[in-house]
Amino acid sequence: MKNELLHGTLEVMILKTLSWGRLHGYGIGRWIMDQGGDALRIEEGSLYPALYRLERKGLIDAEWGISEKNRKAKYYRLTPKGRRVLTAHVVTWTDFATAVGRVLSSADAPSPA
Amino acid sequence: MSPKWRRYLRFWRPDVRADVDDELAFHMQERVDDLVATGLDRNVAQQEAMRLFGDMPRVKDECIEEALKLETEMRRLETLDVLKQDAIYALRLMRAHPTFTSAIMLTLALGIGATTAVFSIVNAVLLRPLPYRDADRVVLIAETFRGGRGSASGGHVTDWTNQSRTVERTSIWQLRTINLTEGEPERLRAARVTPSFFEVLYVRPALGRYFLPEENADSRVTVLSHPLWVARFNADSAIIGRQVRLGGEPHTVVGVAPANFTMTEFDERLWTPFAITTEQARNYGAHMFTVFGKLKPGANIEQAQADLATITEGIRQRAPDEMNERGVQVVSYGSLLVDGWDTQLWVLLGAVTFVLLIGCVNVISLLLARATARRKEIAIRGALGGARARLVRQLLTESLLLATAGGLAGIIVAKVGIRFFVGMGPAGVPRLDEAGLNWQVLGFAIAATLLCGVVFGLVPAFRATRVDLQSELRDGGRGSRGVIRDRVRGTLIVAELAVALVLLVSAGLLLRSAYLLQRVEPGFDPRNVTMMRVALPALRYDSAEAVQAGFARILEQVRGVPGVEVAAAGTRVPMWGASIDIGVRVDGRPFNPKDLLIGHVRLVTDQYFETIRIPITKGRSLKASDLAAGAPSVIVVNETFARRTFGDENPIGKRISGWTRDTLPEWREIVGVSGDVRAFGRENESPPEIYMPMTQAPSNAWASYNRSMTFIAKSRPGISVTAPMRAALRNVDPELPAYDVQTMDNVLSQSTATRRFNTLLLTCLGLTGLLLAAIGIYGVIAFFVSQRTQEIGVRMALGASAGSVVGLVVRHAAALAGIGILVGGVAAYWATSALASMLFSIDARDPLAFVVGALALLGVALGAAWIPARRAARVPPIRALTDL
Repeated sequence: MKNELLHGTLEVMILKTLSWGRLHGYGIGRWIMDQGGDALRIEEGSLYPALYRLERKGLIDAEWGISEKNRKAKYYRLTPKGRRVLTAHVVTWTDFATAVGRVLSSADAPSPA
Repeated sequence: MSPKWRRYLRFWRPDVRADVDDELAFHMQERVDDLVATGLDRNVAQQEAMRLFGDMPRVKDECIEEALKLETEMRRLETLDVLKQDAIYALRLMRAHPTFTSAIMLTLALGIGATTAVFSIVNAVLLRPLPYRDADRVVLIAETFRGGRGSASGGHVTDWTNQSRTVERTSIWQLRTINLTEGEPERLRAARVTPSFFEVLYVRPALGRYFLPEENADSRVTVLSHPLWVARFNADSAIIGRQVRLGGEPHTVVGVAPANFTMTEFDERLWTPFAITTEQARNYGAHMFTVFGKLKPGANIEQAQADLATITEGIRQRAPDEMNERGVQVVSYGSLLVDGWDTQLWVLLGAVTFVLLIGCVNVISLLLARATARRKEIAIRGALGGARARLVRQLLTESLLLATAGGLAGIIVAKVGIRFFVGMGPAGVPRLDEAGLNWQVLGFAIAATLLCGVVFGLVPAFRATRVDLQSELRDGGRGSRGVIRDRVRGTLIVAELAVALVLLVSAGLLLRSAYLLQRVEPGFDPRNVTMMRVALPALRYDSAEAVQAGFARILEQVRGVPGVEVAAAGTRVPMWGASIDIGVRVDGRPFNPKDLLIGHVRLVTDQYFETIRIPITKGRSLKASDLAAGAPSVIVVNETFARRTFGDENPIGKRISGWTRDTLPEWREIVGVSGDVRAFGRENESPPEIYMPMTQAPSNAWASYNRSMTFIAKSRPGISVTAPMRAALRNVDPELPAYDVQTMDNVLSQSTATRRFNTLLLTCLGLTGLLLAAIGIYGVIAFFVSQRTQEIGVRMALGASAGSVVGLVVRHAAALAGIGILVGGVAAYWATSALASMLFSIDARDPLAFVVGALALLGVALGAAWIPARRAARVPPIRALTDL
C-alpha cells in the first residue's frame, strides 16, 4: 500500500526537489527522505528510472558536472515545462489531500437515504 | 562492466550504458561515504548501500531502456528540424526567383510527364503480363510455308495434340464473320473455337460459363464478348440463357467473356463452339486452323519447338506431297501480340527519355549557373562553420524540392499525354486503352523525379561547395575559376547536343521514309470511290448461283444510285479484305506440284478496273459478257504475275489452271494484263494477282470468301453516296448488314496511319530536343559572355572590331557544337539500327538524314550563340573600367 502510493507521487516529489535548483540523483533521494522521514522510505534504486522517465517527458534536463567531493556526477534541473507541471500537480495534490483528509477525519455519520 | 572502448565513443555521441553505469556508481560512492561517516565499517557500509538501493540490475535495465528511447526521439527530431530548415530556406529561394523556378519546373514537368506517359503505354502494352491464367505458357502453334507462319491442317493439330510431350492442351480458333440479326442486322467478326480454347486462354468469365467439352456447332450456343454485350445488349445480365439469331439460326447465350479478353487485331465479337470432323483430323492438306496451345509446366518454347518439329517430320514421312516447303513454328502468344509494336514503343520510350535527358542537362546547367552566383553565400556559410555535408544537404533539398514540384506537374502532363496516346494512337495496339496512371506508372514518375532531383543537386552541390573560402571571400565572389566551371558546362552541352543529334537523325530517317512512301504510286485512283462490304448468309444463299445472283442484284441497285458513275464488286479491293493464294499450272508446261507459281485470286465483276482505275496494260478488261452464263473461262492477271510466270513472253492467250475440283486442270484464258497495285499497303511489294469473273468462281470459292463481296462505286466529285448505297442494299435484302462503308481515300490513308503517327511523334520529339539544345547552348554562351564582359571590354577599348568579338564568341559555340555533332554522329550511327524495321526503302545509316541532322543542329547552335555574341559586341569599353 505504501509503495504503490509512493510510485505515483515519486515523480512529483522529484520535481518539487528540483524546484530549489539543480541536484544529482543521490542528493534528490536524500532530500526526499530527509523531508518525508520513515513514512516515505523507498528503495533508493527506484529513484533512477523515475528520473529517466521525467527526462524523456521533457520535464527535467540532465548534464554532467563535478560534485562537491570532486566526483563526476549527473545533475538534473527542472525545465520550464517541468515547472508548469509541478505547479499544476501541487494544486491538484493539495486539493486531493485536503478532501481525503476531510473525509477521513469527519465525525458526521452518513445520513440514511 | 562494459568494455573500455565504449567510453571513447562518448567523445562523439552519448553512450547511454556507460552514462547509467557512471551515475549509479556515483550514487553508491556517496551512499557508502555517508554510511562510513555514521561510523560503519567500509565493507559493511558497502553491503548496506546495496541493500538500500534494491534491485540493481533491474534499475539499470529500466534506466537504459528509457535513455535509449529518449536518444532515438532526439535524433529523429533533430533530423526533422534540419530538414524543415532546409525546406523553408529552399522554398524562400524558389519564391524569390520565380522565372528561374518556373523555367526548371516547366522543363521537368514536360520531360517527366512525356516520359511517364510513354512509359505507361509501354507498361500497358509490353510489360504487364497477359490476363490469362499461366499466360507465360500460352503459345501459338503455326504451320509454316516457305518460312512464313500460316494456318494448320486438322491432321497436324490432331498429331500435335496426341503425340506432344511438351504441350499440355491445344485448341483451334478459326475466324469467321457472321450476321447477327437482332434488331438492326450487323455483320460481326466471330470465331469458331474448340471448347478447350477458353481453357488455354482462361480468364474468369464476366457472366455465365464458357463451352462444355462436349459442346459443338450443333449445340447452338455462343459466348459473347464484353464489347458486344455492352453495345448490343446494354450489358443486361439477364442475357444468359436468352436466344440470339446468328446466321439466321437461334443460339443460346451461355456466357460473356470479360472486357480484357480479346487482344488480337481481329477483335472477334463472339464465339461459337465446334469440333473438327474425323475426315479433317486425317487431312494434312487443308491449312485452315489457327492453333493455340498451353505448354506443360516447366516446358519452354525451345523444347516445344523441337518436340513439335519431330512430330511434324513424322507427318512429312507419311504425306510428303502435302508437306512441301512446310514446317512448324511455336511462338509465345505474348510476344506475338506485340510483334512489331514492341520496337516502335521502345524506340518511342528511348526518344522521349532522350528529350528528358536534354531537359535535365539544361536544368543542371541553370543550377550550376546559380550555384556560381551563390558562391559567396556558400563561402560565408562555410566560413561560419557550415559543414560541407550540411551545405550539400541544403543544395540537395533545394533540387529535390524543385524536382518534386516538376514531377507533380509532370504527373498532370502525363495524364493528358496518356489520353492523347490512347485517343490518337494507331488502331490494333493490344491493350493500349488500358494505359493509365496506375501505381507502376506513378512509381516510374517518382523514380524519375527523385533521380533528377539527386543528380541536379549533387553535380552543382559538389562543385559549388568545393570552394576555396579565402580566395572566394577575398575577391568578393566574382570568381576567378569561371573557366574551369565552364568546362563542366561545356561537357554538359556537348552531351546535350549529341543526344539531340541522335533524335534529329532518327526523326529525319522516319520523315524521309514517310516522304518516300507517300511517293509510291498505289496503282489505283482512290478519289471519289466509296466501298461497302456485304456478306450473304449461307442459310438463304446456299448455292454459288444464289450467291452470284444476290451480288448481281445488289450491284444493279448500287449502279442505279444517283450520282454513281460506275460501280463494281470484288472479293478484295486494294488494301482491304481477304485474299486467297493458289498454286497455278500453265498449259503446255510440265506439271510439277513441288514448284507451283503462286497467285492471289480475286473474284470480280465487270467495270472493276474502271471503277478504281487500275490501268489495263495489255489485252482487254473484263466485260459484262464475261459474266454471262456459259461464257468461256477468262481471267486478267497483273504485271507481276505475268512477269513471274511468262517473263518477256506475251501472256495474252495463254491458259492457266488452279484451285480445281480435283487433279484435272480447269484451263482459263488470260485476256488482259492489269497494272500492279500495292494490294497489301504502300510499303509492301505488289503480289502476283489473278482476277476472275465472279460467275466463274472455282468450286467452294464462295465458302472460302465467306460469301462476301466489297462493292465499290465511283461517284461524281463532292457527292457522298454512303447512305444511298446502304439504302440500295436494303432494297435487295433488308436483313443484310452493310459494313466497312468508307471512302477509298480513307482506306489508303488508314494504311499508313501507324507510320504517320510514329513519324509525327518522333518529329515532335526531335524538334523539342533541338529547341532544348538551342536553349542550352544559348545559356552556356550567355554565361561565357557574362564571365568575359571585362575582357571583351578591354579588347574593344584596344580597338577590336565588333565582328572579331562576335567571331570569338561564335567560334566558342562552334567548337562545342562540333564536338557534340561528332559524338552524336557516332551515337546515332549506333542507335538508329533500332529503327531499321520502321524504315521504308532507306538504310538506317542513310547519309542524307545524318548530314541534314548535323547541319540543322549546327545552324541552330550557332544561331543560339549569335544572340549573346551580338550582345557582347555591344559592350561599351567603359564597362571594362567600371567593372574592375
